[in-house]
Amino acid sequence: MRYEIRVDGLMSEELTTAFPELDSFVVPHQTVLYGQVDDEAHLYDLLIRFQSLGLHIAEFRRLPE
Amino acid sequence: MGVKARSVGGGHGDSTVTGVTGVTPDGDPVLAARLTVPTVPGTFVRRDRLVEQLTDGAHSPLTLVNGPAGAGKTLLVADWITACAPGAFAWLTVEPQDSAPGVFWSYVLHAFRRHGVALPDSIGSPARPGEVDHSLLARLAAWLNERDGRVTLVLDEFDRVAGSAAVADEVQFVLRHAGDGLRLVIISRTEPLLPLYRYRAAGELVDIRADDLAFRTEETAALVDRHGLPLSAEAARMLTERTEGWAAGLRLCALAAQRADDPESFLKDFEAGHSTVADFLLGEVLRAHPAETQDLLLRTSILEKTHPDLANALTGRDDAEPVLEELQRTNAFVEPIGRSWYRLHSLFAEILRVHLRVRHPGLEPELHRTAAEWLSRAGLLDEALRHAADAGDWEFAAAELVDHLAIGRLLTGLAAERLDVLFAGMAPEASGPAPDLVRAARELAHHDVDRGFAYLRRAEENLPGGDTDDAAAVRLTCAVLRVLAARVAGSADLAETAARDAAEAEHALPDDRLERSPELTALMLTDLGSAQLWAGRFDAARATLSAAVAADQGLSTAFARHEALGRLALIDFLHGRPGQAEAHARAAIAEAEQSGLPAADRTGMAQLVLAAVAIDRADLVPAQGHLDQVAATSAAARDPVVAVELAILRSRMLVAKGDSRAALVALGPVARVPSAEPSPWVSDRIAMATSSAHLADGDPKAAVKVFEEQPPHCAESVAAEARARVAAGDGERALRILDDLPEPGDRGPVIDVWVLLARAQAVDALGDSVAAESLLPRALAAARPHHLRRPFLEAGPWLRRLLLERPVLAREHAWLTGALAPRPAAPRHREESVGPPPEPLSTREQDVLERLAQLMSTEEIAADLHLSVNTVKTHLKGIYRKLAASRRGEAVRRARELGLL
Repeated sequence: MRYEIRVDGLMSEELTTAFPELDSFVVPHQTVLYGQVDDEAHLYDLLIRFQSLGLHIAEFRRLPE
Repeated sequence: MGVKARSVGGGHGDSTVTGVTGVTPDGDPVLAARLTVPTVPGTFVRRDRLVEQLTDGAHSPLTLVNGPAGAGKTLLVADWITACAPGAFAWLTVEPQDSAPGVFWSYVLHAFRRHGVALPDSIGSPARPGEVDHSLLARLAAWLNERDGRVTLVLDEFDRVAGSAAVADEVQFVLRHAGDGLRLVIISRTEPLLPLYRYRAAGELVDIRADDLAFRTEETAALVDRHGLPLSAEAARMLTERTEGWAAGLRLCALAAQRADDPESFLKDFEAGHSTVADFLLGEVLRAHPAETQDLLLRTSILEKTHPDLANALTGRDDAEPVLEELQRTNAFVEPIGRSWYRLHSLFAEILRVHLRVRHPGLEPELHRTAAEWLSRAGLLDEALRHAADAGDWEFAAAELVDHLAIGRLLTGLAAERLDVLFAGMAPEASGPAPDLVRAARELAHHDVDRGFAYLRRAEENLPGGDTDDAAAVRLTCAVLRVLAARVAGSADLAETAARDAAEAEHALPDDRLERSPELTALMLTDLGSAQLWAGRFDAARATLSAAVAADQGLSTAFARHEALGRLALIDFLHGRPGQAEAHARAAIAEAEQSGLPAADRTGMAQLVLAAVAIDRADLVPAQGHLDQVAATSAAARDPVVAVELAILRSRMLVAKGDSRAALVALGPVARVPSAEPSPWVSDRIAMATSSAHLADGDPKAAVKVFEEQPPHCAESVAAEARARVAAGDGERALRILDDLPEPGDRGPVIDVWVLLARAQAVDALGDSVAAESLLPRALAAARPHHLRRPFLEAGPWLRRLLLERPVLAREHAWLTGALAPRPAAPRHREESVGPPPEPLSTREQDVLERLAQLMSTEEIAADLHLSVNTVKTHLKGIYRKLAASRRGEAVRRARELGLL
């Protein structure tokens, strides 16, 4: 499963290291992280990690294979 | 010999650093901080609209404060509860390990008591980490319900146990049943697993959510003003928009602006920028601090709580105290939680850890290791172990557990599950006696005896010599585990040898070190006593078990006391003293109830003894009730003494009810009980039960044969053999073996009654009815104080005839004659019985029966057991015949009744 997660604001490079399994790029006002998500447990773990770092998720979607 | 679910809790609330007094439920020394309402900083802005919502909810059972990290949930509730005191309240900050219900509820009870809500002791406390006795929750709810006025219980950071449906269910249960006695305030990042729609529909829910928590423009202005930065209305509006009213963002923003050279332009730049709020602002605030402060914050971010000395250990400097004080004074990042301890805001700690990894790659494990060493020196074992595990330093972690004499906490108590999970991650490369001892303890706790032994042997080969305390601790730990292993193997010799080694190691240790681990000695004594009991060394067992009961009265030794009392009850019963047996059994049950042991974790021994005594009195209804309770314990499957005795008592019940064929089949399970070394009295008990079932079935030859194959050891089974001999027509032989009995020494009334009745029956059979008549009053007198009816009911027709001919004999014994009058089902005689004699199922038949119960077809059973369909059919016929059943369903039902499944 590949996912794309859009976060409000521009994440610093340091902060993106909290998601070593995801790649990222920035667009105006948002940071886009994307990559392979192993399973549902991983998915929830990601959600919790975003929340615990005070990041606001604007969009979370599965990419077509 | 059985190992059982080791239960009951507690460790040592060792707390030299925090100064928390009293034993905390699992030795967590930072308990005080978790039960204290967090301090509200001077810069806090009270928002009346939210306070009103909280105050208006006074009559609703449930209040939910839901929002993301840093939304200001905790401070909102803390300020409200401090300033607007809603009457009695309790505060608990939940931690992830609280998702074990036993741990969660013991903290809730602590929270109530800490805040002056005087719960009565009768509510009890949970003894196992993984579960809580439901009756405890019912008692708690009922007590709250009857109380005048509501108690407000605040559960902060409830999201940390969000995954536990059990905790959510239990919270819901208590809330429902506490009526008007409880108001629950849940603070959480995620919605709890409660049926919120139901509360919402009934108008019983106060719901404060992220949108409510978000700062309005005028509130932003007030907050920034508190930081000494007056803000125009327009600037406040912009800032509110940029941060979406997020409290943590606003706070960081104010702090960063405060330290900036030009606050106003800083704010403008920030408003115009597009960085993620927290990360950017945290970076800004961090940069504004001196390098030493930044370094301290980064390094201590691996801790949940920090102390100046601990921070110094991590930085290698000695300036932590002024740095932490300064951070606290400026309300940046840290809050004091009392006794020189500080807590980092979890959101900031999380982001700081990310920065730590970037700036100092590879430093994290080293910091964890340093923290573990400091925490261990400070006596904070639980925390030290967690950090040692995070550092991946398993040899250190295992050595810590062993050196603190805390191996018992892996086997018993509220910390057991957590420690078990922690050490489950132990790397296979970790070597040395301590890691092997930890592995052995885990295997033994999981009932894997062979692997437990293997690790123990390896540990023994590498035991340290010398007379240091730590070497003695390793030797003591090893010896205690050897006693446990010997108990499992049923070897009293091995257990006694190991116990001597343990005593020697104890001598080499200072008293205060031993006193901190009372559960270690209590567990060892219980295991030793159980091994001695299995071997029939009753006097030694009694002394050892009594010592275990007397050793220590704390919660950490409650399971050991419960088990030891149950075994003492059994010893009394085996010696024919029903009064003492009942007293010990009731004490064992009281101990379990007081310490909140869930029914499934009790040993079942006490109930077995009560059942046995009731059967002797022919009180079959209560006896059945006790037996059903035993079957519900986990010990029924694991502890051989319980398993064997349960089968024997079921069989005796069936004999008493007149179903002798079923009684024989019910004894089937005893053959499958694993036992390394045989136990003389256990084989005696099996032989007596088997012979008695044969006698009731009208087959005295088979009854005699049992004793020929299994010569009796004790007086009671000699009496049983004599009865079988008389029934088989050999009264002379019966009298001879009774004459050979040694003088009654430690023989209780029950055994006297059996022996006297056997003798009376023998002399009567030999034609000397006068002698029989003279023995009977003695038997009646001995039986009367305890109302022992069963021996008379089983004595056979000669007794009835005698009492009929000489009614004067029974005149004083109304307790017995009532039971004798309605004759129970008469023993069937061989000639009358249809079909072959009943016999236990063979192993193969048992295999087939178990699959039958799983609704497998004949073909499936054949495939599963690698047999031909025809062979399975033959086994099925055997099963039907032995169980007197004609169909599958009937056979399975019958087998269940007989305890074969």
